[in-house]
Amino acid sequence: MSSSVTFKPGNEAVTVPPGTLLVDAAQLAGLEINQPCGGQGRCGRCLVRVESGQVRRRSTLRLSAEDLSAGYALACQTVVDGDVVVDVPPQQAAERKLATDKTAVTVDLPFPYNPAIDQTLRTIYLEIEPPSMADQTDDWSRIKRVMLPKLECQAIETSMPMLRRLSKILREADWRVTAVVELGGWDRPACPARLVNVRPGYSVDQLWGIAVDIGTTTVTVYLVDLISGTVRAQAADYNGQIARGEDVISRIIYSSKARRSEPEANRLEMQQLVVDTINRLVEHVSYQAGIFQTDIDKAVIAGNSTMIHLLLGLDASSIRLDPFVTTVNQPPELTADRLGLAINKAGTVDCLPGVASYVGSDITAGVLGSRMYEATELSLFVDVGTNGEIVLGTADWLISCACSAGPAFEGAGVVHGMRATTGAIEEVWINQETLEPQYRVIGDVPPRGLCGSALISLLAELFIAGVVDKAGQFIMDLSTPRVRIGDYGPEYVVAWANETAEDVGDLALTKVDVDNLLRVKAAIYAGFDVLARAVGVDLADLHRILIGGNFGKYINVEKAVQIGLLPDVPWDKFRFLGNTSARGAYLALLSRSARNQLTSIAGMMTYLELSADNTFYESFTSALFLPHTDGDRFPSVKSLFEDRKA
Amino acid sequence: MPVEIPKEKWTGKVRLVTLGATAAEGGTRTRRVTVGGGTTLPFLFFEGDMPHKPVIGIEIRDRKPDDWSPLLGLAWGEAMNDPGDWAKAAEQAGADAIVLAFNLADADGKAPTAAHAKATVRKVLQATGLPVIVNGPGQADLDNELLVAAAEEGAGERLVLGLCEDRNYRTIVAAALGHGHLVQARTAMDVNLAKQLNILITDMQLPLDRVLMDPTTGALGYGIEYGYSVMERLRIAALQGDSMTQCPMIVTPGEEAWKAKESKVGEGVPKAWGDWQERAINWELVTASSLVESGADIVVLRHPESVKRVHAMIDAMMAG
Repeated sequence: MSSSVTFKPGNEAVTVPPGTLLVDAAQLAGLEINQPCGGQGRCGRCLVRVESGQVRRRSTLRLSAEDLSAGYALACQTVVDGDVVVDVPPQQAAERKLATDKTAVTVDLPFPYNPAIDQTLRTIYLEIEPPSMADQTDDWSRIKRVMLPKLECQAIETSMPMLRRLSKILREADWRVTAVVELGGWDRPACPARLVNVRPGYSVDQLWGIAVDIGTTTVTVYLVDLISGTVRAQAADYNGQIARGEDVISRIIYSSKARRSEPEANRLEMQQLVVDTINRLVEHVSYQAGIFQTDIDKAVIAGNSTMIHLLLGLDASSIRLDPFVTTVNQPPELTADRLGLAINKAGTVDCLPGVASYVGSDITAGVLGSRMYEATELSLFVDVGTNGEIVLGTADWLISCACSAGPAFEGAGVVHGMRATTGAIEEVWINQETLEPQYRVIGDVPPRGLCGSALISLLAELFIAGVVDKAGQFIMDLSTPRVRIGDYGPEYVVAWANETAEDVGDLALTKVDVDNLLRVKAAIYAGFDVLARAVGVDLADLHRILIGGNFGKYINVEKAVQIGLLPDVPWDKFRFLGNTSARGAYLALLSRSARNQLTSIAGMMTYLELSADNTFYESFTSALFLPHTDGDRFPSVKSLFEDRKA
Repeated sequence: MPVEIPKEKWTGKVRLVTLGATAAEGGTRTRRVTVGGGTTLPFLFFEGDMPHKPVIGIEIRDRKPDDWSPLLGLAWGEAMNDPGDWAKAAEQAGADAIVLAFNLADADGKAPTAAHAKATVRKVLQATGLPVIVNGPGQADLDNELLVAAAEEGAGERLVLGLCEDRNYRTIVAAALGHGHLVQARTAMDVNLAKQLNILITDMQLPLDRVLMDPTTGALGYGIEYGYSVMERLRIAALQGDSMTQCPMIVTPGEEAWKAKESKVGEGVPKAWGDWQERAINWELVTASSLVESGADIVVLRHPESVKRVHAMIDAMMAG
């Protein structure tokens, strides 16, 4: 007895005995189906759709219930059980399909945006009577005279940087100008309005703002067209302060140190470093969108409390010291010239409100950006950056904590680590038989390093393939040249020098890196654990796990669960939201009501100080293991090992 | 009014572990020692069983150590010059098991060899019928070399090989698997680390009834309370049913107590400290008996007089 297998779209047909794997049948038919994991049903790259006929699936890992009912199957794990017709999607289509299980939310317009209602900035065109000997009214009063009736506003103020430019612009533009007015920010809802810009001629359809997320490691800037509400350009770069310390604590220490006789020299230097980073990015996005930087009239900034303090030049030392308080959680608005931001000097800078020393506006913005505050069911929000901040709750209550994770997942502090940019390996699979890796590189160029998602997938693969044990130690007696003693001790070579970009040499993950990653994942998991215990809920009962941070955009849930970074709950409970902090800042930049919502989120969030919680260390050390000392918490990983033994 | 004594209802039980193999089991030991089996915290007989009493191992060396207290030299005398004689003397002094530990260097300052390890193990096995625990000098590479040799030489004797730590467990466990031995799994005073090492050992298919946990301890006045509480928590976890903590515990109060200044120094100390020898022995005794109370199943001691007193303490406690 035999079965016929027809492969679409080319309709290649072969006859095979029942029980033949689809990949083997495909090969007979002269079709190549990629199997990066070596046919172990683990990478999901050999996805096909069974259009008709009977098959048996040995493993349905990586497939959701919907996928199964739609006929999707892994060709390397599916055997023929009668005549079948199989649709082989082109490789790209398969990639797209898989990309949906890590749904990165692109920056789209979050709601129907109406600048007239939502936006606090207004543009108005003014034709002003020039001064004469008969009317010697000053420029400012003169412009006010025309503006106030149009704004339906009682009063309007301005700022020094605005006044400094006013005279010249009015005269050069021949008294025909477009004014940009801020109609009252969060801290002065009842006005008065403030004139922030005057541009020559008619340009009421031009209005720009930036949403900035200052991460400890990465700074992100969105350039937003405030007329349409869309993000017109975005850019990210390492925070220039990294050279002065990789984590917030070392930055605080550095900024608090007096240099020679100047007690504030370091603090000013730190402020300048981050401002320079932002300015570089502003230059970049302005160039991309083809606008002048000085046309940007507003900056909304989210960041952890230390980053905001350093940006504002505030003394951050109390953040580090018991009892861990900030100077200010809700900083007042200021004009851009006060910080030296390279946008319109009179433009508004709004630093979003935080909650505590280690739960800053990056997290309140994240909760806003993730819409967690609207959920009726229990959700967990986690933003993995240099610090891992975690929020648990519903629309009625929110509790948060922060754990120091270190910059490993952002590619820093790892021998071959790098940010997720061109040349970064973003995912790795290791064949369990040969221990040979397959990897995917961003930008299809020779690899230069490993980004956060690669580090997670690589550690998981090393663990599952038995290259490292549960304690993260390399097993040295394997028959592969890839596990060896390198400059940093035991290591696994992902790419040999002849595959990598010039000057990179052999690209490896070292024991030091593995230990580093273990600590990071243990700190974050321990945070989940302590927070859940503090409010008496079980992680298994979570309705949603919302993952923010640049890092979350690309990680593979399966791998993150396998190393014990994320709780082992069904994959459909995870939502990847990308940079929720930048997104929150974007929402606050667009909408007055979102900005108000943010203030109320900051107000309702409870903060749990982990350093005052004696269960954290216990949770941390039990998580310093793959996937966890209590293996029962990770049933999917446990069954993976049991399947292999069987 | 009658007072009802509250009783915990434990669901777990400490695993039974047997050291040493007699001819019937393929070894040459004349005595075997079984520890574990407890269903409650130590000596709480009103609540559960303690079928096997805590036992004492006496530490001997492959050669007379240079850095031991002269008080120990006085106690053991000439026997210290030969590991066979020392083992016999230890047996007479009341040892339930012999702990043979290798020095880091021989008299000429050279590292001991595998051949030396084999010869010494053979000599000790011939000198005593007690179960033998073999400890390396505490350097990963050297430990691996000596312990593998010892494992081969003592094949079938159900020796205990130590220290088996996270950095070398693969070699030690493989040696134990290959030659029918047990391991002494040492971790640094932490419940999770102890559990993790047991998981790693189990992953290599060594059954847990061939594992003794060594959670590390400190001497009286030198961190004993930390070690005590870790042991107590390990034992409570075991009784609560956590299988990875249900191995019997071995600790080394002798080694720790004899590092303490109070034991080491006889001159230039306050008069109120009293007689040197009595103080040193008491230091070892109080350290060891405290650890027995916290759940130790095997305590490794150095001085024959402390051995006698700890035995007396255990017997008194077992009498209820």
